[in-house]
Amino acid sequence: MALLQPDFPALSEETLAALRLHIDGSFRAFTREHGATLERAFEPLRDFLLLIEKLLTQAPWPLVVAVLAALAWAASRSWRIVLGTVLTLLTIGLFGMWQDTMKTVAMIGVATLVALLLGLPIGIAMSRSPRLQAIVNPVLDVMQTLPIFVYLIPVVMLLGIGRVPGLIAVVIYAIPPVIRFTHLGLRLVDKDLLEAAEAFGGSKWQRLRHVQLPLALPTVMAGINQTIMLALAMVVIASMIGVQGLGQPVLRAISNQYFTMGLLNGLAIVGIAIIFDRVSQAYGRRLQQHLPRPRG
Amino acid sequence: MSLPHFSILAGAAALALLAACSKPEPATGPAAAPAAGTQATPCGRVTVANMNWQSAEVLAHVDALILSKGYGCEVELVPGDTVPTLTAMMEKGQPDVAPEAWVNAVREPLDAAVKQGRLHYAANALPEGGIEGLWIPKYLADAHPEIKTIDDALKRPDLFPAPEAKGKGAIYGCPSGWTCQITVGNAFKAWDAKAKGFVLVDPGSAAALDGSIAKAYERQQPWLGYYWGPTSILGRYAMVKLDAGVPHDPAAWENCNAKLECLQPAKNDWARAQVSTVVTDRFKQAGGPAFDYLNKRSWNHQTVNTLMAWMSAQQASGADGARHFLKTQPELWKTWVTPEAAAKLQAQL
Amino acid sequence: MAEPASALRIRQLTQIFGPTPQKFLAAVQRGIGKAELQAAHGHVLALRDVDIDVPMGAIQVVMGLSGSGKSTLIRHINRLIAPTAGQVWVRLDGREQDVLQMDPQTLLRYRREHTAMVFQSFALLPHLSVLDNVAFGLKMRAVPAPRRQQQALQWLARVGLAGDQHSYPHQLSGGMQQRVGLARALCVGAPLLLMDEAFSALDPLIRSEMQELLLALHQETGKTIVFITHDLDEALRLGHRIAILRDGAVVQQGTGEQIVLQPADGYIRSFVKDLNRGRVLRCQSLMHAAAPVAGPSVQFDLVIEEAARLLNAQRLPAANVLDAKGAHLGVIRLEEILTAMLPPAASR
Repeated sequence: MALLQPDFPALSEETLAALRLHIDGSFRAFTREHGATLERAFEPLRDFLLLIEKLLTQAPWPLVVAVLAALAWAASRSWRIVLGTVLTLLTIGLFGMWQDTMKTVAMIGVATLVALLLGLPIGIAMSRSPRLQAIVNPVLDVMQTLPIFVYLIPVVMLLGIGRVPGLIAVVIYAIPPVIRFTHLGLRLVDKDLLEAAEAFGGSKWQRLRHVQLPLALPTVMAGINQTIMLALAMVVIASMIGVQGLGQPVLRAISNQYFTMGLLNGLAIVGIAIIFDRVSQAYGRRLQQHLPRPRG
Repeated sequence: MSLPHFSILAGAAALALLAACSKPEPATGPAAAPAAGTQATPCGRVTVANMNWQSAEVLAHVDALILSKGYGCEVELVPGDTVPTLTAMMEKGQPDVAPEAWVNAVREPLDAAVKQGRLHYAANALPEGGIEGLWIPKYLADAHPEIKTIDDALKRPDLFPAPEAKGKGAIYGCPSGWTCQITVGNAFKAWDAKAKGFVLVDPGSAAALDGSIAKAYERQQPWLGYYWGPTSILGRYAMVKLDAGVPHDPAAWENCNAKLECLQPAKNDWARAQVSTVVTDRFKQAGGPAFDYLNKRSWNHQTVNTLMAWMSAQQASGADGARHFLKTQPELWKTWVTPEAAAKLQAQL
Repeated sequence: MAEPASALRIRQLTQIFGPTPQKFLAAVQRGIGKAELQAAHGHVLALRDVDIDVPMGAIQVVMGLSGSGKSTLIRHINRLIAPTAGQVWVRLDGREQDVLQMDPQTLLRYRREHTAMVFQSFALLPHLSVLDNVAFGLKMRAVPAPRRQQQALQWLARVGLAGDQHSYPHQLSGGMQQRVGLARALCVGAPLLLMDEAFSALDPLIRSEMQELLLALHQETGKTIVFITHDLDEALRLGHRIAILRDGAVVQQGTGEQIVLQPADGYIRSFVKDLNRGRVLRCQSLMHAAAPVAGPSVQFDLVIEEAARLLNAQRLPAANVLDAKGAHLGVIRLEEILTAMLPPAASR
């Protein structure tokens, strides 16, 4: 009575092994044929990353602190946040983590930029097309839940170890919030307002630019904020494929059980995360100051 | 009772009935469960460290099979890694057995523990020891027969281009946090690789290092970096170890090359790493004949490499590899075990 | 008197909502009822064969209770909704065109230049200042900023909000917000104004002010206005012509007086039952031809309530009705006025 046995009647071991070997073989054949082309295709991105990293690590540190403080001010207009930014950066430098932090900031900055450049258009497209929604949503689910090393090693086989595969891994993990929140924000725009814009002769593009995007902005900012947080959360995992920055000392600390080293570098990551979070939230709040505050 | 409620109740009752009806596995063959008094000193519970690389994994499973089916031990495999497992054995006496311990990583505290009698060395799991060094792919060595030593390779940064540092050569180093990171870093300094136009690339993890070799090999691209054996990668991809050009100097190694703080490391070859089985004192006292087995059990590189090549080809797990080994090489493992244990094992294969 | 040209002609407009509306078009034309269509086929009959002519420069009111299809109807005029069948004829570029057949470019131009809409929920963009909201229609036409802001300021002043251009919608009261909505619609200078229950969300005092404002603006600009409402008083006050919808079909069309004096069926009768006829009916409807009598003279288009007030003050029984040039048209009696003003006895 096969139905009374607890062991599921799975495919035989030979079949499963043959299946796995076949897929592995196909993937290897693919990397052999197309790997070089893919590498070349990503070269501009790699060069851009290296450039930003060089800027941040080679520039004199007071200049970098000043520029970052100025950016924080421009976005938030809050003395408290600027002060917090400067103090955090100075503390990080004092504890000898400056170079690593700059490398991480460069990587996270570029990753966020890429995530925005890709994610915003996809979110906008999704809000217009239920079919695209049906295709993209499962892909996002996979991107957020598939264990990272599962797709990291194939990426390494295609592109080698270093910044670009690390960037790809971070972007894959961090892009879903931007896409989801953009889509949500656009969908939540008051239908009456869209109708009014259409009645006054607004084209689709005009409606998007003058009504939908401005009104979706609070939600989109929440998505961007989440993307930045997830990108920083990936810092240690990215270092597992050779990305430099704060992740490497943390890895070393894990392997050798150096508690304090791990803690200090981890706190540096937290510090950067808090800076990014506060600045982006303050910017988001500033953008919405004309919208009515929800009454209790 | 409404229909949905009734269905749930009926379903639960049916499942309970099925569970009661399905027969338990009948005990097959003699001594599957340790029967009191029929065997000399049943060895009781043993925890065996199952470390996360292929040769250690298959060895742990071989030990688990032999100890449980041959000696009647109750074996539990616990995941492990060199430093955490040995530290735990030293501090807490758990797990009982580390089948393939690369002891150089924790040489000093380990020797201290052995001196105090808390831990013991059993057999050298790999009597030839582990090999470490800088390797290049065989196709590259064939294409450039003039490159035989590390010095030869360092003359050609153009041959090993670094993808993220234009104009420089790349040496792939040891993953973050491993002890070899120190020795490779010092070798980089000793051979003055930076001045010769090379950068040392930190791969971050063993998986990434393996991935970079696989990527290079699939596309016949050049690769130069640190690796160790016996490993599945060396079993799968033919690599050639570069000659250091100097012999191994143990004193200099201890004082300088193996230490992070060493300011002026000199050129030094890697030692053959000692790879031994380490057991706790408790197990040595209580294990009886099981400990004797662990004192005898060892295999050479060729055996291990062949086995791992088979495992990679079949995508087999450590357990499958262990079973395959026991089935195909009885003449080897029978030399490790007592005749009674051998008979029991043979019957159950 | 000669009928002015039509600004808008709605012909046989039919709207069925559902997955396969075309399938049931024939059935609807044969006369299937709304309830039956819903129950048997799961489709909603929103409009059935609507025919309306809107004269140039008139205020056309479309009236009905909720679910009558009036909001759906007005959205066909600028094609926010497309019908299952029918046409909407407008005069554009010197010829009659069917809005529902316009190509996208023409439709865009039509919406930007020929129509403007005012909404019940005001529909002001919360992230723009009042000034930018008023200028929005011109922005869709790519009018440069200085010019459109200047125009917006003018219209803002005209609706009485001169100092508020830098405020944001959420800072304004409902009445003020709808003034902004009105200014926005007027700012584009379109000849056709569509107002979808524009004053229904305002309280009665404000509503009355807004009606005054609308009438004054209509006098000044001469636009054609299509005005949707569910309030009969508002309809009678504003509308030169009124069309009453019920369940998507036109029950009666005509002037306010026609509807009050000759209700088409029991439905309309019950509507007008509690109306203040004194303010609706004009002297010319109640007068009869007779020789001039001793008494005051009133204009033909004076509401009978005013005539009654006049006669009551002077304690006289009748008045002479004159036309616009002062010629004698007839005589009107106080007791006839009273009879007309009292609602018919309620039937049990």
